[in-house]
Amino acid sequence: MKRVSDLLVTRPPAFVLGAVLGLIVVAVLATLNQRLGVLGGYSAVVERLSGRAPSFGWRASFLLGVFGGSLLFSALAGGSTVGAGYGWLTRTFTGDWQVLVVGVLLLLGGVLIGYGAKAAGGCTSGNGICGTALGSPASFAATATFMATAIAVTFAIDSLIT
Amino acid sequence: MSVRLVAIALGGLFGFAISWGQFTDPDRIREMLLLEDAYLYVMMGTAVAVGFVGVRALRRMGTRALVTGEPVSWTTSGVERRHLVGAAIFGVGWAVTDACPAPIAGQLAQGTLWSLFTIAGVAIGIVLFLRGEERRLARPATPRASAPSQARPLASAQTP
Repeated sequence: MKRVSDLLVTRPPAFVLGAVLGLIVVAVLATLNQRLGVLGGYSAVVERLSGRAPSFGWRASFLLGVFGGSLLFSALAGGSTVGAGYGWLTRTFTGDWQVLVVGVLLLLGGVLIGYGAKAAGGCTSGNGICGTALGSPASFAATATFMATAIAVTFAIDSLIT
Repeated sequence: MSVRLVAIALGGLFGFAISWGQFTDPDRIREMLLLEDAYLYVMMGTAVAVGFVGVRALRRMGTRALVTGEPVSWTTSGVERRHLVGAAIFGVGWAVTDACPAPIAGQLAQGTLWSLFTIAGVAIGIVLFLRGEERRLARPATPRASAPSQARPLASAQTP
């Protein structure tokens, strides 16, 4: 088991991981004739729980799988690969109010992710990997836009906190 | 083979892969967005290339989906304003949290409880979008807003 955890502690080459994710896009289409997208799983849960949809559907199952796969990875790797705290947020905001401030920022960030990805028709996986692989002009435009925005805002945040 | 089991298995592979690639670590994502680490870009480029060739091979061979039996097919969308505005909003959220929907689930699975805030936010964002769409679709009932151009289909139905 130690050898497995040693292997998992280092990232695989980016092109290997990319090929695996690309093949998952192909496999979702080859088995279910569906477009891969993780935000759709969250949306399926919300729509089911709010009575907007009669069932959870395959997308909620896919999201459950993402959770389970990460759990399995963590077990085989012998621990979490997520760093201590929560990145720049917990390094920047410390002290008694940390949970409140970081929690509110993550909540607001989450709102932007949920609303924005729904409006854009997908998230990093739905538009950035799957939609572009299918050749959708909307996905190419959305991916270019969210990449450029995320890079610009990250640089802006970096200039404010350093 | 049930649709649900296949979806869980493929989602499991996806979750395992993004965890191994350390996309669940906000600091890793931040390095990529600060252009200090090319990993994300090489990964996405390869994934798109492999997917692009693979899905076209399926269609060319006239493949039927193994579980549903349907002929493999898909449709694409032209660029609309909502794709650009929505993506820009999403990009801001991604930069603040250094996470997107799949890694958020992975973070929770790996015991990062901070992600509960992000997940709650994503759910609120989805509800706000759905309510906005429901209000917009209800509007054509009033005489002033009954123009045919406003009777667009619910965008949520197209969300992957």
